[in-house]
Amino acid sequence: MKHLRAMFLAPSVFFTVVLFLIPLTIIVSYSLRTRGVYGGVVDPWTIENYARLFDPLYGMIMVRSVFMSLAATALCLLAGFPTALFIVRNEKHKSLLLNLIMLPFWTSFLVRTYAWMFLLRDTGLINSALIAMGIIKEPLPLLYNETAVIVGLVYGYLPFAVLPIFSNLERLDKALLEAAADLGAKPWETMFHVVLPLCAPGLRAAGVLVFIPCLGAYLTPDLLGGGKSIMIGNLIQNQFTTARDWPFGSAISLALMAGVMVLLIVLIRRDGEEAL
Amino acid sequence: MAVIFGKGNLLGMATALELKALVKQFPTARVVDGISLDIPKGCFYSLLGPSGCGKTTILRMIAGFSEPDEGDIILNGRRLNGLRPYERPVTTVFQSYALFPHLTAYENVAFGLRRRGETNFDKKVRDSLAMVGLAEKAERFPANLSGGEKQRTALARALVLEPELLLLDEPLSALDPALRKRVRLELKQIQQRIGITFVFISHDQEEALSLSDRIAVMNKGKIEQIGTPREIYLQPATRFVAGFLGAVNWIGPVGVRPEWTRIGRTAPGDVDSVAATVETAVFLGDSVHVHAKTADGSVITAQVHDSAVDYEHGEQVRLWWDKSDELRVSQ
Repeated sequence: MKHLRAMFLAPSVFFTVVLFLIPLTIIVSYSLRTRGVYGGVVDPWTIENYARLFDPLYGMIMVRSVFMSLAATALCLLAGFPTALFIVRNEKHKSLLLNLIMLPFWTSFLVRTYAWMFLLRDTGLINSALIAMGIIKEPLPLLYNETAVIVGLVYGYLPFAVLPIFSNLERLDKALLEAAADLGAKPWETMFHVVLPLCAPGLRAAGVLVFIPCLGAYLTPDLLGGGKSIMIGNLIQNQFTTARDWPFGSAISLALMAGVMVLLIVLIRRDGEEAL
Repeated sequence: MAVIFGKGNLLGMATALELKALVKQFPTARVVDGISLDIPKGCFYSLLGPSGCGKTTILRMIAGFSEPDEGDIILNGRRLNGLRPYERPVTTVFQSYALFPHLTAYENVAFGLRRRGETNFDKKVRDSLAMVGLAEKAERFPANLSGGEKQRTALARALVLEPELLLLDEPLSALDPALRKRVRLELKQIQQRIGITFVFISHDQEEALSLSDRIAVMNKGKIEQIGTPREIYLQPATRFVAGFLGAVNWIGPVGVRPEWTRIGRTAPGDVDSVAATVETAVFLGDSVHVHAKTADGSVITAQVHDSAVDYEHGEQVRLWWDKSDELRVSQ
């Protein structure tokens, strides 16, 4: 019995240690050393990299990342809630609609982000169409700005918002909606006083599931933001590539992880582990 | 054939709810098949029947969760058809109670008053909770209330709105048997005190008999019989009603309830009796159920209210009863 249990546990222990703990240890050790001239790390050991996190230059990027992620999360919740509600209420096509929500995952995220570039650029679909219709003369600056990044983030992570809200709404006892109507609540009052409060755990889970990947996003701001370091993800990437500052890149990564962990702990404290 | 006893109103009171030739067609069945009822004001009225008889569908149509395909629902002279649930002066105690889990007992009771835009509702809410004995538990959330307390909160929540009609959808079925009897008594007392018309849905004949002023027994979307509890128990119109309200021994077309069936090793000389062989005697504490087989193979049960009585398997006995206790049903 004991051997069998060990045998079944072995693969997951192996993967956790090799693929998670060891790289993490390397990152931690990198973050505490000094940058090499051509990348890599050299002695001596130092905490200088963490001190630099408080440099206003980087602080700006972090604050902007947080605000952009919050904006994307809010938009995902605003769009995700009605979508989930529509799917839950559509008894006949529920599974079809859910599959449609998942459909984008069947293609590469990179390809889909490029598709947004084709939509948003000066000669893209939207601008061409608006010019052709005579609504505008000059193309609108739709691409390579923060709005484009937020649009891309919302597009990319909307399914992560829909699914937890959907499962929360699905579990909602329909008798509660009838009880509310029975007690004189008009549909919008039932929505506001019964459905939304009872959907709070789903909305919080959705919020965290969208906010976390948004905060660490790198591809979307890189492609739609025009190559500037506008979010933490790009900042980290730059440290490992052009800036050749692996220790500082590691320190930022760990700071990001720490922030995310705090967020998750707060959520689990509140909603229990099912929240995730 | 449905036979209606006591046509007209109970105690000469005005009609509160009138159902006129109500029909509801589901894809596979006509679940409500031409139901007409007059429910007097202040009456404790039960719709009694097995699951699938259409009673819940009727309740949902009265509440407004479902619309009838044909027929009218008239409450105190006003036609309710087409009104949304929140527009009807009717409230419901749900089978699952459907208490809002994110609100305290107090806020659950205040819910409907807030929707009406009332602001000075504190006394109403407190009085309502006190009426059901929950004054002390006002600040508790449903998760921290017992089954009986949840049921009473649901009752307070529905009654605080002073509805013209209260619907109760098997509100006792989720309670354990001992509690059910106590709550049953309380429910009856509350109804008598406030005088609101109750329409009670049940598949439990004991519950309906003990609570109701009037019972409509339903089967397969139709009414089998309407009457007072005594009428439908003592003078069932149909075989279905007789059997649904209690055990019956059928001796040809004649039915006799086990509690009216006498048993003895010999019968008194002056009565007609039936010879039978004891199959088994089941001891139930306050009574003994003796199952005995007659010559034609049918099994008759006699309920003997004497704990000392006992019979062996295979014993020869006589069974008899008063002619006046025979149930004469139409079919």
